[in-house]
Amino acid sequence: MTTIAATGLNVATPRAFVQPVVARLSAPVRLNYPWKFSSMKRMVMSVKATSEGGISDKVEKSIQEAKETCADDPVSGECVAAWDEVEELSAAASHARDKKKAGGSDPLEEYCSDNPETDECRTYDN
Amino acid sequence: MAAVSTIYSTQALNSTHFLTSSPSSSTSKQVFFYRRHQSQTNRRFNTIITCAAQQTVVIGLAADSGCGKSTFMRRLTSVFGGAAEPPKGGNPDSNTLISDMTTVICLDDYHSLDRTGRKEKGVTALDPRANDFDLMYEQVKALKSGIAVEKPIYNHVTGLLDAPELIQPPKILVIEGLHPMFDERVRELLDFSIYLDISNEVKFAWKIQRDMAERGHSLESIKASIEARKPDFDAFIDPQKQYADAVIEVLPTQLIPDDNEGKVLRVRLIMKEGVKYFSPVYLFDEGSTISWIPCGRKLTCSYPGIKFNYEPDTYFDHEVSVLEMDGQFDRLDELIYVESHLSNLSTKFYGEVTQQMLKHADFPGSNNGTGLFQTIVGLKIRDLYEQLIANRATVPAEAAKA
Repeated sequence: MTTIAATGLNVATPRAFVQPVVARLSAPVRLNYPWKFSSMKRMVMSVKATSEGGISDKVEKSIQEAKETCADDPVSGECVAAWDEVEELSAAASHARDKKKAGGSDPLEEYCSDNPETDECRTYDN
Repeated sequence: MAAVSTIYSTQALNSTHFLTSSPSSSTSKQVFFYRRHQSQTNRRFNTIITCAAQQTVVIGLAADSGCGKSTFMRRLTSVFGGAAEPPKGGNPDSNTLISDMTTVICLDDYHSLDRTGRKEKGVTALDPRANDFDLMYEQVKALKSGIAVEKPIYNHVTGLLDAPELIQPPKILVIEGLHPMFDERVRELLDFSIYLDISNEVKFAWKIQRDMAERGHSLESIKASIEARKPDFDAFIDPQKQYADAVIEVLPTQLIPDDNEGKVLRVRLIMKEGVKYFSPVYLFDEGSTISWIPCGRKLTCSYPGIKFNYEPDTYFDHEVSVLEMDGQFDRLDELIYVESHLSNLSTKFYGEVTQQMLKHADFPGSNNGTGLFQTIVGLKIRDLYEQLIANRATVPAEAAKA
């Protein structure tokens, strides 16, 4: 149940990062400026990447579980709680889908929205 | 924003106060503290002047199913300017949204039982037994008084309670979730409250749209899920309607016979009369009953058109005004035409409602009453906020003069 924030990873060792996993998300920008890493953020992003596919599986599993629980006793608290879990997971899955559709498609855009002052993100309007 | 200054006596000068909340079963102990900032003055009499940065305005939003009211939140925060985003550098599964003026807190974070705990006990998230109302009350009270809190995080993906995150007191705090008005103490703290009432048919249609893409789901499982939650919903969530200052009721349309797709909606904005700083929107003549179809000679609409209704009514023994819209907007000029005929919108310039709707044309409900009324409620909240701040600024000034 630990969040990455609780693991206490320090910025002191940026080079110890698992670069290949992160590379898919934003390596081209970050490799040039490793000192600009925010350690938690990188680790956090790699965690995010793995959990997306998992939600759909969770939904499917929870539906099966709910059907089984309710087969025994349709009005019990367990049955109701099981369907409530299905509802919660479906909501989470639909949010994940929306988030995936909305953002995260362009790593440069994402990086620049957070760090507009960096060299890669400067725009010259005049 | 206006700074509110108050004059205190010299007692308890160098004090650092600790406040701990009662530890709940599966969250870590919440600790928050504040220190009073002092500034010595050169006055003859020993008074210290301290300034509180702001008094937070608290808005409550109640509706079903997690914190998927983010469309409403995005519209609301956009009325104030700025985009609301999850806190940077924190837990990626945080439910909190922060923008310049507003912070939105999801009340699911105050679950006292995580998913496994609830399964063991056989309670749903709707049940008050699964929520820690004492913690909710303490933290909302603290934020309202300008004290930062360490708020727990309920992770919807894992179903566990994660480590708390620090929340700074914002100018406007919105608490959204299943039970903002359930606990009486929390209800007292709310400056304005809204309830999103989705009728069963529309809820079913929306859930089908949402879940049919998900493998594992079928029509039966969606139906079973809704049916199973209904008793708890009716017992605990629905009664909050009576306490809300504004209710947005979403019903199936009456313009198309036997429409069960839930695409065209009839939306009713039920506004309580007599709420401080809140003046209901009206059509043509306040307190009268009006039925209005804007489509005609001046405005051409496509099928099924638009129909408005406005009337005074009683709702759970309160006097209310009800503004109702049935149908859809297809074009920009329909929207501006409708806006120009509504009164008391609290807009700052002509066409502000239309502009806000267009800004988020990709949001669901942008072409019907849900988007329109959510935007209008957002403007009303802005109006309420400005009046409240102006009022709080003048009161101490008068006290200082006296």
